[in-house]
Amino acid sequence: MTCHETANIVSAYFDESSSAQERKAAQLHLDSCSACSAALADSQAVGAHLRQWQDEAVPQWQRIPEQLHSKRRVQKPRFSFWGQWAPLAAAFMLALAVMFNVQVDLNSDGFSVAFGQSGGMSPDAVAAQLAQFEQAQRQAQAQTLQALSASIEERQVNSNARLLETVIEQLGDSTSRSIEQVMAYFEAQRQEDLQLMEASYQRLVDSDFQTVQSMQQLANYVQYQGGSLQ
Amino acid sequence: MSFNDQDAALIADALDGSARAWERLVKRYEGQVYNFSLRLTGNSSDALDLMQEVFIGVYRNLHRFRGDSKFSTWLFRIAHNKAVDMSRRKPSFMPISSLGGAEQSEEEVLEHYTDESVQENPQAMLSEIQHNAQIMAVLGCLSWEQRLIIELKVFQSSTFDEIAEMQDISANTAKTRFYTALKLLKKQMEHSHDLS
Repeated sequence: MTCHETANIVSAYFDESSSAQERKAAQLHLDSCSACSAALADSQAVGAHLRQWQDEAVPQWQRIPEQLHSKRRVQKPRFSFWGQWAPLAAAFMLALAVMFNVQVDLNSDGFSVAFGQSGGMSPDAVAAQLAQFEQAQRQAQAQTLQALSASIEERQVNSNARLLETVIEQLGDSTSRSIEQVMAYFEAQRQEDLQLMEASYQRLVDSDFQTVQSMQQLANYVQYQGGSLQ
Repeated sequence: MSFNDQDAALIADALDGSARAWERLVKRYEGQVYNFSLRLTGNSSDALDLMQEVFIGVYRNLHRFRGDSKFSTWLFRIAHNKAVDMSRRKPSFMPISSLGGAEQSEEEVLEHYTDESVQENPQAMLSEIQHNAQIMAVLGCLSWEQRLIIELKVFQSSTFDEIAEMQDISANTAKTRFYTALKLLKKQMEHSHDLS
């Protein structure tokens, strides 16, 4: 036995939002329809069985979404990427400027950047100072060489004279020719020694000159680097 | 302050970025949502996944809640949609044959539960879970659409109009589906009783 109203009757029973009028109408139908009464009884039994469900405890889980975690931990940056790094970059450049004693000179040609104590000197002034230094070095070395040569020559002459006297005393009857030969030999030795000494000093002077040239190259390099910053 | 007012205050604070308010709001409803999910999915692992998706959905849409309805009604509308999404995404979601935690071992059943009540009385908790498992086994005879209607009507006390709106069907169709589901459950209960 079936009834086309059963679904509505049973649903009305389960629907708490049903009006009093709907409930009364359903009850009137149930009083006269055994099919719907049986269906309702079965449905009530099912409902009662389902309602025996006992709520289970919620297992441990992450209640706060990652988005909310991020919101708490990380404040939204106020500035852009460059805005964040600009103060750090400025501080770094300032530290470099202090470390290398950077000097900025503003003149009619624009501005120039120089490093170190020589800051502010023009390249020409640096070259002129180096040339003066080279000239002074050369003069001082020439004077030193001349004085040294004279000293050595004088000492060698004296030494040769004492040697000659000793030889004459030892030989006694030596002929004047033999003496002249000995004197010629000593003179040749003296000249050879002087040449060797002059060659050594010249190498020393050349070495100093190379040092000056290296300084000149270094100065040119610094001027080039400074110029590239201008 | 009424329950709804407390909800409203917590929602406002959560929208301002208060994690504490959000956590309190979740704690008020997580039990309902978890058990809703458990009855639908039939196992605690999928239930946890569904519950998390529900609350993520609630969090993302919280600014859209205008208070026109109760927060719980709005929340279970999201829960319904997430359950539908999950059933479509996971073809094996709510398989009838595997439903029923009674088939799980005691260790498997209890391994997901770490709260103090379980630690204090694991046998009572196990009995409770196995009793619920029998209910889930009965529910396992239903399609997910029928199970959703039973869930919303019997456990959430939703009206047929609300169910009709959620499932985009008429109220009469919702009533017919509900009654059909009740008949299937009756048969399943008799079958289970005969087996036991």
